[in-house]
Amino acid sequence: MSLVVIDYEIVGGSDSPQGRTRAALDLRFSDAERAFRDEVRLWFETHLARPWSAELGDPSNTEDQLVAIRRSFQRSLCDAGYLGLDWPRQFGGQDRSIVDRVIFQEEFVRADAPPLPNFIGIQIFGPALIHHGSDAQRERFIPPMLRADEIWCQGFSEPSAGSDLAALRCAAVPDGDDYRITGQKVWTTMGPWADWTFLLARTDPEDRYGGITFFLLPLDQPGIEVRPLRQLTGDAEFGEMFLDGALARREHIVGRIGEGWKIANTVLAYERGVYEIEGPARNDRFLADLVRGLRESGALAYDDVRQRLARLFAENEAIRAAGLRMLAALSNGETPGEEASIQKLNWSEYARRQAEVAFDLLGDQAHLRRRGSGASVGVDWVYEHLFSLSGPIAGGSSEIQRNIIAKRALGLPTR
Amino acid sequence: MRFELDGEQSLLQQSLRELLEKESSLEQSRPLMESSAEGYSKSFYRQLASLGYLGIGVPEDRGGAGAGYVALAAALHAMGRVALPGPILDLLEAIEVLRRLPGEEARRWCDRALAGDALVCLAHREPHSAREASPRTRIDPATGSIAGRKVFVPFGASADALIVTTDRGLAIAPRPDAGWDARPLETVDHAQRFADVTLAGPAVELAEGEDARCAVEGAERVGALDAAAFLLGMMERVLEMSVAYLKDRRAFGVPIGSFQALQHRAADMLLYTENTRAAVYRAAWSCDCDPESAALQVAAAKAYAGDAARFVCREGIQVFGGVGFTWEYDLHIFYKRTKMLEEFHGSTRDQLEQLLRVQGI
Repeated sequence: MSLVVIDYEIVGGSDSPQGRTRAALDLRFSDAERAFRDEVRLWFETHLARPWSAELGDPSNTEDQLVAIRRSFQRSLCDAGYLGLDWPRQFGGQDRSIVDRVIFQEEFVRADAPPLPNFIGIQIFGPALIHHGSDAQRERFIPPMLRADEIWCQGFSEPSAGSDLAALRCAAVPDGDDYRITGQKVWTTMGPWADWTFLLARTDPEDRYGGITFFLLPLDQPGIEVRPLRQLTGDAEFGEMFLDGALARREHIVGRIGEGWKIANTVLAYERGVYEIEGPARNDRFLADLVRGLRESGALAYDDVRQRLARLFAENEAIRAAGLRMLAALSNGETPGEEASIQKLNWSEYARRQAEVAFDLLGDQAHLRRRGSGASVGVDWVYEHLFSLSGPIAGGSSEIQRNIIAKRALGLPTR
Repeated sequence: MRFELDGEQSLLQQSLRELLEKESSLEQSRPLMESSAEGYSKSFYRQLASLGYLGIGVPEDRGGAGAGYVALAAALHAMGRVALPGPILDLLEAIEVLRRLPGEEARRWCDRALAGDALVCLAHREPHSAREASPRTRIDPATGSIAGRKVFVPFGASADALIVTTDRGLAIAPRPDAGWDARPLETVDHAQRFADVTLAGPAVELAEGEDARCAVEGAERVGALDAAAFLLGMMERVLEMSVAYLKDRRAFGVPIGSFQALQHRAADMLLYTENTRAAVYRAAWSCDCDPESAALQVAAAKAYAGDAARFVCREGIQVFGGVGFTWEYDLHIFYKRTKMLEEFHGSTRDQLEQLLRVQGI
C-alpha cells in the first residue's frame, strides 16, 4: 500500500545531468529564477505607490474607489507582463514556468499589493479556457480578463447546492442555437463589480453529473440581477445572482454540452493546489506584525506567549515545505492529486489558527480596527480574523477536502 | 527544483527497510523491550554498525560514509517504521559530538562507536538545573577525575562511556570496572532505558569552552533532525496500520472506514504525516546544502514532527478502539516512543524557543 504522495521508495534520480552529483532533493531556485524574483521585487518597489493596508487604512477611500485602485493596479501588472505567467503565449500568457508564477505570487504578497479584482477569473476561469476552451474563446476573453477590462465572477454555488454542487438546479433551456438560463446563484465573489460570469447550469435534469454545462454570460443584459450580499466582515464583495431567462450564446459554451462537471472539477483540483502556495510568504508578513505588536506590549517576554507564537512559525514552515514539494512536482510535469486537498486544508486552517492566536496574544490591541482609521501600517487583525472564517468554507469546505483525501488518497470505502 | 530522494539514497533506505523488517520487526523486538535488561538486540546494533548505518552522516575522514543528512534522515525514517528500540538516537548523537572534536581520545571513541565496539551516550541533564545553566559536574584536569550527577542519562547503566558536560566543557568517562552508581529510571517509554548516574572516577577532557559548546550544539541539531525523521517513520507506520484496520474492521454491517467521522480522522493523520515528511526532508536538505537556514528548519521540523506524531499516534489508538488500548497491539509502542521523543533529543519546548531565537525574536 502506498500512502505517500511522492513515494520516497520508488523515486530514483538517474537522469541527472553530467558534472553534477545526483542530488535529487534540490530546493534551490535557479539563477534565472532568482533573477526573476529580483526583477519582480524591484518592479513592486518602483510601481506600488502605497501598500494595500495603507489604502484600506485611508478613510477617504470608498469601496468603489478601492475596486478602482485594484483594477488599475492589475492593468499595470498586465502591461508589465506579470499576469498569465505560466500560460501559453498563443493564449495571451507569458510562456514562463509554474515556479516563476509562484515567485511572482510570493513577491506580490510580500509587497502587500492590492488584490487582483479578477483573481477568480485568473485562477479558475483562465485555466478552464486554456484546458477546455476554443481558440476563439481564448482570443476573445483572456486578454481583457488579464487587463481587468472585464471582471469575472463565478456562478457555481446555489442556495441548495453548496458542498453538494452537483445538486445545482439552475436550468439552461435551448432557444434556437442558444440557451436561456433561469435560476439563482449565491456567494458570487466580486459579483457587484463583475461584467461576465462563468456559470454551471443544468442542460439535463435527469443526469446528475453529465447534465451540467459550462456557460459564459455577460451580466449587463435583461434577465440578470446581481444584489450585493453583506458578509460578516462588513464587506459586500459577495453577491447573489438572479437569472430569469438570461441569454447564453452557443459560442460561449466551454467544452461540450454536459461536460461542465468534469471541467469544473479538473480546474478546481488544479487551482486548489497552486492557489495560496504563496500563503506562507503572506504569513511571514502577518507574523512579523504579530511579533512587533507583542514586542510593543511587552508580552514577548512571557514563555507561554513565545511558545504559542513559535508554534505558528513551525507550522508555517511545515506548510511552506509541503508547498515546495508540490511546486517541485508541478514543475516536473506531475499533476496534483490529493496534495491539492492537503494544501487547501493547510492554508485555510492555518490562517484561522493564526488569527485566533493573534487575538489571544495581542489582547485589546487586536480588537482595534485599522481599516479606515487613518493608520498607515499594520495588519487589521479584526478583518483577518473574521475573514479567516471563510477559508475552511470557500472553494470546497474542509469537510469536502477530508472526504476527498479519505477516498482518493487512502482508498477508504464509500457507503 | 526537485523534492525526491536520489537513487543511492532510496537504495539505502530500501535495503535498510528490508533489513529492519527481517531482523528487527516489532514481533522480534517487543520481547526484548519488555524483558531484557538492555531492551534491545546488541547483536543487531553490531550488524547495523558493520553495514555502515551508524556513519551515514559522518564525514569520510572521520570514518563515516559522508553520504549527507538527507541520506541520514532517510535511514532514521526507515528505523522509525519499526520503532527500533535501543540507543540508536543517543548513539548517533554521541557520534556527532565525537566526530566534531579534535584529539586522539575523541577519534578513538568515535571509531569504536562507529564500529559497534562501544556504546557511547551523552550525559548532559542535571537535577534541578535550567537548560542554560552551566553544569555542576566538575572535572579536575590535574587528576583527571570527575564528580557529579546526571539524570535521564540514556542507557546510563550499560553504556561503555559517557560524554559528560562539565563545568569546563566536555569530558569522556569510560565506565569503571565496578560500574557507576546508576539508578534505573522507569519512564513512559518502557523500551527506553534511562538512569540517574552519580559519576565518580577517571575521565578525559575532550574539549573546553566554545569548542565544547559548538560540538554539542551541532550534534544536538543533528540529533533533533534524526528524531524528527524517526517520528516521521512512526507516523507513517501508524497511519498504514490504521488505514488497513479501517478497511478491514466491520461494524453495523459495513467497514468502519466508511464512516465519515473516522475518514476525517484518517485524512488529518495523512495531512500531518505528509507535512512532516516535507518539513523533515527540507530540514535535512538545509543541513546539507543551505547551512544558514539549517538551525531554523531543524527546529521547525522537530517541533512540528512532535506535535504531528502526538496527533497521529493518539488517533491511531482511537481508530483501533478497545484493542488499541491493549498491551498486545503495537499502537502503544509508537505512542510511548512519541511521548519520549517530544521531550528528548531537543524537546518541543526548546525547539520552539530556538525557532524564535534564531530569527532574533
